[in-house]
Amino acid sequence: MYPKWLWPIFALPGVVWLILLFLTPFYAVVGVAFGGVDPIFQNPLPAWNPLDWDFTSFLDTLSGFLPGRTYWGIFLRTAEYVGIALAISLIVGYPVAYYITRHSGRAKSLLLALLILPFWVSYLMRMLAWVNLFAPEGYVNAFLRWTTLVTTPPDWLNGNPVSVILGLAYGYIPYLILPLLASLDRIDKSLLEAARDLGASPFRAFLHVTLPLSKTGILGASVIIALPMFGDYYTPNIVSGSPKTSMLGNQIEIYFHGGPQPSVGAALTLILSAFLGVLMAYYMFTVAKAQREAQA
Amino acid sequence: MTEIALKARHSAPPTALRRFRDWLANPWGRPRFLVLVTWLYILTSIAPVIIAIQFSFNSGRSVTAWQGFSLSRWYWGDPVDSVWHDPTLQQALFQSLKLAGLDMLVATPLGVILALGLARWRGRLAAPANFLMLFPLVTPELVMGVSLYLVILYLFTFIHPSTLAQMLGHVTFSLSYVVVIVRGRLFSIGRQYEEAAADLGATPWETLRLVLLPLLLPAILSSLMIVFAISIDDFVISQWLSCGAQCDTVPIRIYSATRAAPLPSVNALAAIMVYFTVTALGLTYLVYRFMTRHERPKGGGAAASMMGDIGGM
Amino acid sequence: MKDRDPEAKPASTPMRGSFSRRKALKTLGGAGLAVSAAPFIVRRAFADSAQPMGPGGIPLARPDHPVTLPMYEDPLKAGMAPETGGDFVVYVYADYIDKGLVNEFCKTHGVNMQLTTYDSQDEAITKQATHAVRPDVVNITPDRLAQGVAGKLIKPINHSYIPNLAANVWEGLQSPFYDVGSQYTVPYTVYKTGIGWRADKIKEDIAKLENPWSIFWNAKEYTGYVGVLDDARESLVMAMLYRQFYDINTEDPAEIDKALADLKALIPICNPKINITEYQTLATKQSWLHESWSGDLLGAYVNYLPAGDDGSALRFWAAPKGKGPIQNDCWAVSASTTKPVLAHMFLNYILDQDVAFNNFSKFTGYQPPQKSMTADALIAKGIVPETLRTAVMGPEDVGAGCLQECTLTSTGQKLWQSAYAKFNSGT
Repeated sequence: MYPKWLWPIFALPGVVWLILLFLTPFYAVVGVAFGGVDPIFQNPLPAWNPLDWDFTSFLDTLSGFLPGRTYWGIFLRTAEYVGIALAISLIVGYPVAYYITRHSGRAKSLLLALLILPFWVSYLMRMLAWVNLFAPEGYVNAFLRWTTLVTTPPDWLNGNPVSVILGLAYGYIPYLILPLLASLDRIDKSLLEAARDLGASPFRAFLHVTLPLSKTGILGASVIIALPMFGDYYTPNIVSGSPKTSMLGNQIEIYFHGGPQPSVGAALTLILSAFLGVLMAYYMFTVAKAQREAQA
Repeated sequence: MTEIALKARHSAPPTALRRFRDWLANPWGRPRFLVLVTWLYILTSIAPVIIAIQFSFNSGRSVTAWQGFSLSRWYWGDPVDSVWHDPTLQQALFQSLKLAGLDMLVATPLGVILALGLARWRGRLAAPANFLMLFPLVTPELVMGVSLYLVILYLFTFIHPSTLAQMLGHVTFSLSYVVVIVRGRLFSIGRQYEEAAADLGATPWETLRLVLLPLLLPAILSSLMIVFAISIDDFVISQWLSCGAQCDTVPIRIYSATRAAPLPSVNALAAIMVYFTVTALGLTYLVYRFMTRHERPKGGGAAASMMGDIGGM
Repeated sequence: MKDRDPEAKPASTPMRGSFSRRKALKTLGGAGLAVSAAPFIVRRAFADSAQPMGPGGIPLARPDHPVTLPMYEDPLKAGMAPETGGDFVVYVYADYIDKGLVNEFCKTHGVNMQLTTYDSQDEAITKQATHAVRPDVVNITPDRLAQGVAGKLIKPINHSYIPNLAANVWEGLQSPFYDVGSQYTVPYTVYKTGIGWRADKIKEDIAKLENPWSIFWNAKEYTGYVGVLDDARESLVMAMLYRQFYDINTEDPAEIDKALADLKALIPICNPKINITEYQTLATKQSWLHESWSGDLLGAYVNYLPAGDDGSALRFWAAPKGKGPIQNDCWAVSASTTKPVLAHMFLNYILDQDVAFNNFSKFTGYQPPQKSMTADALIAKGIVPETLRTAVMGPEDVGAGCLQECTLTSTGQKLWQSAYAKFNSGT
């Protein structure tokens, strides 16, 4: 009933927008990474023509990721922080999402509303709240002192990795729970009932039915928070200020502060994107495989 | 446990701790562990924000030590540092709201037609276009910020770092969210109504305008809300494309202050943003309820169906 | 990328924090000029062939190698009347000059004030070069002068319009090494890099130590409350000065690596934070020991002390002349000006005693090199406490023999930046 050309035409403005303002900027990063530097103004001279690309600086930066070299340590540290923060988020987020799906009706609405609330509060505001709470004279330390469990409460903001990891987990959990919830919601409850009918205990039913079915959901939600977490630079800056906890994003930031090596910053950005692209590809491959298996 | 032992255990009136332990161990109720974790999580995720808002009413200059209640000091009372009197804080507030408004205005229509196009397009290029649309969702903001910054400085040099540049950046990452929400709604509507309209003689244009669009209105509303929220929240893109003090948004202001020595006026500024967002959310919810009053799934509640739309991701 | 951090308050507050300026001061060393093969016109032969060269064949200035900038045109003729009417564009860092003072100047001469701001010298140079901004006067740093002159961004000045230069400004800055004869610039603020600390938290008397910089390497008990400046040059220079190595413009990879190793050693000792917020954190006790700029201690004293703290615990130490870095920045008349006479008079206005004093004490906190603003005078007026006498500079701090972080060649810059990035990565 609609003309065939209608839908492509509808899609056109959005696609053009994304090409101009999403794909082309990527190409600009490529151009700067493989380009030169203006000798007078120290600005990057991007090389737009692939034939003009100069890989020496890029290969130099790339070799910095080999074990023992410049970026190896910080890359490992970033991966470690992201991994642990993700694990904490899943350990906390999965039970919460699971619990909510078991409800229906008004209670579900209420829980959803409470759950979504932090999502609507700016990330920075939540970090501000976190920092205020964990400051040396903040409520957390006051509480610890009051319970007399700890006489000298630790200084949470003195630049230690624990605070940064917890801060990351705290900041990103809401973004994990929502998609996880959505995908858990879609699991057919009748399968669970069937398992119970066949004699499985609640725990075994969970282990053998719900968990396998939620695998793609977990993977999807993990991807949604792990990938942006890799590029996070402001959380370590806010929660700690110390080089001991800096992440890959902080390195990228340094090279764009003005100075003679913007191509290094661009190269680091490219390498980060490529690494995340590999993770993303793995995710899509897994999802495609699961879909094929589901249809088979 | 034998009866005698049971009796012995239950002879004394149960203490609070004991009652809690019993509740926890009840094998017939809902899994207590899950309840505990859920409520603990909700508490620990909302409490810090509530406390931060509480400190915006602090009568002293501290953000960690409560010095008494003062309703207005940091909002409009203090002649130098309050949000009302500090032009930089006000500037940040207006800039955030301005960007959010522009973002809603541009991203929502663009996203809606993109969603329609992508959902129904059956050509060969549809899959790559769909892929392209999904990419911003998983790209780290740093990568997007760096790439937009470089493209504005060295390719699209007619655009300077400015509010315009920030708006362009915001729309770019908001598009994907709008598409996902609207598409979810499209799938749940199905084609039946449009086919019925076509059967009754409506032209394609009339079908779009009189049937599809009203049906999509709840999703459009949700998108407006989501776009508002993520635009207000955005830090990285706004920072990289900023032109200086005039283009700073509330998150940028909060970031600077948190790294140094913040005053409760920053808490007040952030709290104002929360009030705006919560009000907008409440209004949207009410409007959504009103709009979908005939479609509500049994016992699901509007929130759940809104969730369902959003969960189309 | 511009990392923005303006802690700006309205002009009615005494002493606004010019935080974006501080952030931009970071890039002072980072904004380098490369050895250029660009086809600029004049190439002057200099006897000292070891002198690193900048654009246009203008050598990179060093305190012991003063440079007379080439004149591409004659300065303004003397005795002309000031222009009036229209806009007067002042191009300066955000929050770095009191708007009220500029406004007064503009009103007196019947022009419209237009204060345009930038966040970094990079931005300023680019916008002027592309004519995106056409200022009348511009605030410029010495390391950019070669670019400004070779790129014809600034005009030479005629001192007959600027009597305050000879009358009020320190002798040592009347003919600075980066602009012999003050042909293009007049100085604006001076500051030195040293150690800021809180006497109520640090038990050592740092000023009396044999090697004051060593306090950082012995600061284990102050872990978490120590800070280093977020600047590639300043942080590595600190390590160099700790080893009493004074060639702070070196491009020798071995020396830079040694400094890097020393800096990295700090991390397990006291886990320093890297930022430039010490003017707030020293005041609020979040930081106890910090590599600081002198202006920041003054700013902390006047503006950021919490209630109940009288600031008597704040201390500052800087090395004597030639053993610790100093820096200053300047004003120049822009080549794009349509009101050259008025521009000269603005430069004169800024150097006026009272204007400079008000600008410093009520707004920026960064000291102008005025003869009348001695430490004694400032302490007598109550602007500066006796305990911070050392944060005030005097004419003896500048001139020949002083240590200044100057422009490097592109190779040198890369070395410093990479070393700093390594320190920042904490590995």
